Amino acid sequence: MRKATGIKSLLGALAVTGLFAAIPSASQAESAADIAVEAAKKYAGTELTVIWEAGLQSLDPLNFSGPKWEELTGIKIKVVESQVNEMFPKMMQEHRAKTGAYDILNAVPAWLGDLVRAGALEPLDDYVDKYKYREELEDIGDVYRLNQMKVGDKIYGFPDDGDVLILYYRKDIFEDPKNKEEFKAKHGYDLAAPATWDQFYDISKFLTDKFAPAMYGSGNMRARGLFHYFFLERARVEGCRFFDAESMKATVNGPGCVKAMAGFIKENTTMPPGVEQWGAIESLAAFNAGQIAMTQWWPPVGRWSAGYGADVEALSWVPKSVVAGKVGYALPPGGHPELAAGFSMAVSADSKNKEAAYLFIQWINSKEISLQRVQLPYALRDPFRKSHFSAPSYQALWPDAKHYLAALEAGAKSGVLDLSIINTFAYEDTLSAGLQAALGGEDPQKALDGVAAEWDKLTEKVGVDKQREAYKDWASKPNAYPN
Amino acid sequence: MTAALGAGQRANLFADRHFKWLVIAPSIVVLLAIGLYPLIYTAIVSFQQITMAEENTAWAGFDNYGALFTDGRLWLSIAHTFIILAIALPIEFVLGLLMAQLFLERMPLKQVFVALLIIPTVISPIVAGSTWRLMFDQQYGPINQIIGWLSGDPVIILWLARPEWVYPAILICEVWQWTPFMFLILLAALSNVDRSLIEAAEIDGASFWKTFFKIVLPVIKPVVVIALLIRALDLFRIFDIIWAMTKGGPGTATETISIYTYTRAFREFETSYAGAIAFLVIVLLSVIVILALKRVEIAK
Repeated sequence: MRKATGIKSLLGALAVTGLFAAIPSASQAESAADIAVEAAKKYAGTELTVIWEAGLQSLDPLNFSGPKWEELTGIKIKVVESQVNEMFPKMMQEHRAKTGAYDILNAVPAWLGDLVRAGALEPLDDYVDKYKYREELEDIGDVYRLNQMKVGDKIYGFPDDGDVLILYYRKDIFEDPKNKEEFKAKHGYDLAAPATWDQFYDISKFLTDKFAPAMYGSGNMRARGLFHYFFLERARVEGCRFFDAESMKATVNGPGCVKAMAGFIKENTTMPPGVEQWGAIESLAAFNAGQIAMTQWWPPVGRWSAGYGADVEALSWVPKSVVAGKVGYALPPGGHPELAAGFSMAVSADSKNKEAAYLFIQWINSKEISLQRVQLPYALRDPFRKSHFSAPSYQALWPDAKHYLAALEAGAKSGVLDLSIINTFAYEDTLSAGLQAALGGEDPQKALDGVAAEWDKLTEKVGVDKQREAYKDWASKPNAYPN
Repeated sequence: MTAALGAGQRANLFADRHFKWLVIAPSIVVLLAIGLYPLIYTAIVSFQQITMAEENTAWAGFDNYGALFTDGRLWLSIAHTFIILAIALPIEFVLGLLMAQLFLERMPLKQVFVALLIIPTVISPIVAGSTWRLMFDQQYGPINQIIGWLSGDPVIILWLARPEWVYPAILICEVWQWTPFMFLILLAALSNVDRSLIEAAEIDGASFWKTFFKIVLPVIKPVVVIALLIRALDLFRIFDIIWAMTKGGPGTATETISIYTYTRAFREFETSYAGAIAFLVIVLLSVIVILALKRVEIAK
């Protein structure tokens, strides 16, 4: 009897287990993407306007996510393209003029604070709870989720792009026995991905001396609007602090900052002639063509140099890679890559259709859809979810993809944040001008003294106390300054 | 009936007297709406404290105007503007005049050449600036390559990155684009000079230069002045070419008054202060234009 009871219990337990196994959990039944699609169907026939970076970035909503969303929900996505450094002024102008021109803002996270203070963004917490998105948000990489999602204690944007400036290097050159032997004989340490900026200079000069003009040791972006990201990273690695947290006097002209700038100028001598004017395309083209052995870039160069997307028409302008299979991935010297720019999806406070706008950004940012988007060969969205870094489909895209994802994930952990205070854009713009003056021949100390003076004026205009509060809030984040 | 006729007559009389005003009234209203309203609004904003951080419409008195006098970057940008104007304007005028003089003569395919020569003028300045930026590019641009071929050695000139080269680069682009405008205006003016006067002077033994300065120049003077005035105003407002080529850099080396105003208004969002700068520019330009017009007695 006891045996019979035991068997019955076992059968009962199996039945219950089987029943639960047969009933999918809520998350399996309805993903955040599905929830968004179902809820959005009631807005079929409407149109949502999104401002997006022009060029390849826009191919995501134009060719992939926009048409797919329209097919699923009947909501049309209209894309307004803009150069990245014109996006913030446009967002602010439209908001100030209360035109309601944009429903969705694809904004650089460092701008979120300013946009929120101006009242341009809609808080998303209520929507997140209503449409059960909180759990999936936890999958977003910690550095992005903790630093690029909230302003104060409210969610205003979904981190949507894992931008990080890691180092790409020619591992075939670095592993060549002859190069290794000669380098060690000259410098007394092994030829490997540089761990410090001094090593970077040694390696770059060694390779330039040996191979130029066929190949130079390195080549990095120096163009206005891009170079300041590299400066912000390296300056902090060299011990620079941007402000005195008490007086709020700019200290961007301090010894660490000047050392960083002087280092860039010194390294230019080991790079191809004219590097002072290089933008993203020049360094990408040179690396893919095998004309430089090292470059620091946003994640797409890792994919394209591996030949991923080489047959895609939208990438026909990208120089064919002659270095596929020969590229190594590493953290840049100092080990704290800039989490440069990135994007967060946000809903405009001036939108006439906020809920539909929210549902689109939940869908596009969801685990399921974002994994597809970061694997688009032509788009510039980079892995930003924990599940992206470990996705088998991504790791199988090319032979070294696993190492590439590991480097991006490491960078996402140790990376440093873009400066984000009140009127960030103006501070960055002023910094960019000063850095260009230094690259143009002005003494680095003098150029940065000029930047500091301009920053002090900006701080005075914003209000020292208000800016101090914003700066302290930013500086208290774990990835603001290297530990 | 008498009273009605009287009213009708009065209406006709009013219409006769004021017809011209009735006809032009709609245009004036439109012009005031699109010209005067923004001007007045800018003036109001310039006395407030509106920035990106705060939409504070409280009055700031003359604070913004006072700040203009201590803003070194502003006066430097005005100096940059005058440097470009002082160099580009005479070059464009002289080149335009020489070309116009050349095209006065009969020549085969003259109309085709004239049409080809004015192409730069019809190109959008932002496109012209972008094109020249590529032309001056160290890696991909043809300028350094051509200089290299001519000199026999590879040439590395960082046209847009080095302060000593950036002004020549901008001026080349500016002169390339706008000399044809000067050429066209001057060609039209020269074509209208009475040939018999010139022939009479030649018969009397006057040299080319004497004929030009004593006969031709006085005739074309009003057109020359207007052409110079138009180009001077354009050069004072120069923005697109420089924005496309250098964005005012390196540093602030090529920041002109228009670029500086744009930067303060739309990159640093100091709306009220930018309004004050705009008014300073309006005053400066108005004074220059009035003086110029008075001097040549055109606007009597």
